[in-house]
Amino acid sequence: MSSVTPAIESEENPDALPDQTLIHIEKLNAWYGDFQAIHDLSLEIPKHKVTAFIGPSGCGKSTLLKWINRMNDVVPGARAKGRLAISGDASNDHAEINVLDPGLDVVGLRRKVGIVFQKPNPFPKSIYDNVAFGPRLHMKTSKSELDELVEWSLQKAAVWDEVKDRLHGPALGLSGGQQQRLCIARAIAVGPEVLLMDEPCSALDPSSTLAIEDLIFELRTQYTIVIVTHNMQQASRCSDKTAFFFEGRLIEAGPTEQVFTRPQQKQTDDYVRGKFG
Amino acid sequence: MSSIPDAIVNQDEKFLADNAKRRKRLSLWFYFLCVAIALISVVILVVLMVSIWSQGQSRLSTDLLTRAHSELEIERSGMWPAILGSLFVCGTCAVVALPLGVGTAVFLEEFQPTNKLLRWIHGFVQLNISNLAGVPSIVYGLLGLTVFVYMFNVFGQIRVNESAGMEIMGYKHFYQVLTLEPGHVVFVPQSDPTKRQTTFDEPFRAVDPDGNPIEISIWTPGTPKPSDPAIRRQTVRAGAIGGTITERNWYYFRLPFDKSFLSGGLTLALVILPIIIISSQESLRGVPSSLREASMGLGATTWQTVRDVCLPAALPGIMTGSILAMGRAIGEAAPILVVMGAAVAKSSGPKHLMDDAVTMPVLIFNWAGRQQDEFKELSAAAIIVLLVILLLLNSTAIYIRHHVQKAQS
Repeated sequence: MSSVTPAIESEENPDALPDQTLIHIEKLNAWYGDFQAIHDLSLEIPKHKVTAFIGPSGCGKSTLLKWINRMNDVVPGARAKGRLAISGDASNDHAEINVLDPGLDVVGLRRKVGIVFQKPNPFPKSIYDNVAFGPRLHMKTSKSELDELVEWSLQKAAVWDEVKDRLHGPALGLSGGQQQRLCIARAIAVGPEVLLMDEPCSALDPSSTLAIEDLIFELRTQYTIVIVTHNMQQASRCSDKTAFFFEGRLIEAGPTEQVFTRPQQKQTDDYVRGKFG
Repeated sequence: MSSIPDAIVNQDEKFLADNAKRRKRLSLWFYFLCVAIALISVVILVVLMVSIWSQGQSRLSTDLLTRAHSELEIERSGMWPAILGSLFVCGTCAVVALPLGVGTAVFLEEFQPTNKLLRWIHGFVQLNISNLAGVPSIVYGLLGLTVFVYMFNVFGQIRVNESAGMEIMGYKHFYQVLTLEPGHVVFVPQSDPTKRQTTFDEPFRAVDPDGNPIEISIWTPGTPKPSDPAIRRQTVRAGAIGGTITERNWYYFRLPFDKSFLSGGLTLALVILPIIIISSQESLRGVPSSLREASMGLGATTWQTVRDVCLPAALPGIMTGSILAMGRAIGEAAPILVVMGAAVAKSSGPKHLMDDAVTMPVLIFNWAGRQQDEFKELSAAAIIVLLVILLLLNSTAIYIRHHVQKAQS
């Protein structure tokens, strides 16, 4: 089992630890064709914390998120310059990953950096097959190991109790909130270090949103989470660090509490008070 | 400007009511027109079916299904070789066209090239497929004639009464010679393929019709003839001449393909390839891109995404397109007439890969053009059989598709 569960099993209080930067972004510029979506952006994303990206539509926050695991590769005309690196880690025995390196093993990167999308997108297969999809791609596991891994992932994603009796039923038969938690379980099942979430609650009702937020709060003890959100309350509720973007530039980044109560920039102040956006 | 325009204020109530009535009446008329147009096609179909049934039902018999075409016993002519031939031709067509068509669709839809040259090739292929879908099938027949039947004559011209082109495998040449026992022959393996005939003057080794090796002795006329039939069967008159005959295994293969069922199947594959490609492309396009992103986000390669996500999700659509395409292939006569000829006198299905075949549409075409009333009735009966077979094939495919769909969700 040790090959399939993440090595990090820290039970310490994450708030008590000093910040340790996992993802370094320096002078990043990104384009879609001729349109520059990100200008000279530098940001550090702390390990085992929740970092929220906020800002009005089209400010480049989703673009940045999708560069972290190179999902932009499939977008024609998308390119980026600058430095985007994920720290090496002795316990996970990998050296620093230079994400923008054109020769990088993207498949390996995406195994370490999972992504959850805006709309729940389970495969039209059974619940079990959805969670087992990633492990089947990457690992060689026996039937019993796979069963255990699927249960572990579903439990982590707080959806096990609701689906344990119909694991082989269709995933599309679940409610929207359950589907989204299933998608999180699917992402966790390959043992990532980072979870990227692109507005994971925007298609869900309030109670499902609450369940996902609780889950995000739980998961940060083991994963570094980056969440893009339009919902200011959500960012203030569940993130440790907040970065505010505007027109492709990073305006302000800092501890969530500071960004929301004592913003340093006027634009941030206007935005978090709801004057625009 | 802020006051309400006159056109709205001064409304003629009577005109409005009349106008509404008139429009409603027009709408009703249009509804009747649509129903009538829809009914016309149904009526034509029913008339066709009824007339075919009334002409052909008297000829529906086991003879029709089990016997071959016969000029001497018109009454008992059948279409068994044609049923087999159609299945062989369409089987070849499916085996070639389905993987090629689905593969091309996957290439065009799922592997978007980044390289400029590849993008150009991509666009060129796409443009050509759209054009090919509109080409009349007889043109494909001519293409098949050049490419598969003659293969541009690179393997030599096909000559009458001679094995054509290059024989590659699955054949044996023998000299066939008569023994003293009337009606009995033995065979001698032919070592020199260019020598079409040979003369026997000395004792030799041969094989009997069952393939057992035997020693053959020579009888010189003037000396006493052996009387025992067993010995007569192993004796050949001095100076007897043996001609070449060829024994072909089922895997007999040669180039070019000549007028074989393989040529016919390959030509039909060309005819239906654009249909399969376009319908497969449509159904792959219908797979939501969020599923692709989900798969890629989990670290799947493009091929894994295509195999595990896109193809399963697109399978029902791909199968629908393939069923329609195969229905077209089984009913297609024009390219088959060009490639395999119009001959219908064949008593069995294809015996080897290079064997010719009769197909159902060609047989129907032949029978329908005959003078004799029996053949006219037979052609109607054959049409009924063709329709039933088509219906059977389609419903099997639809059943499988339904099954696949249910297993997926």
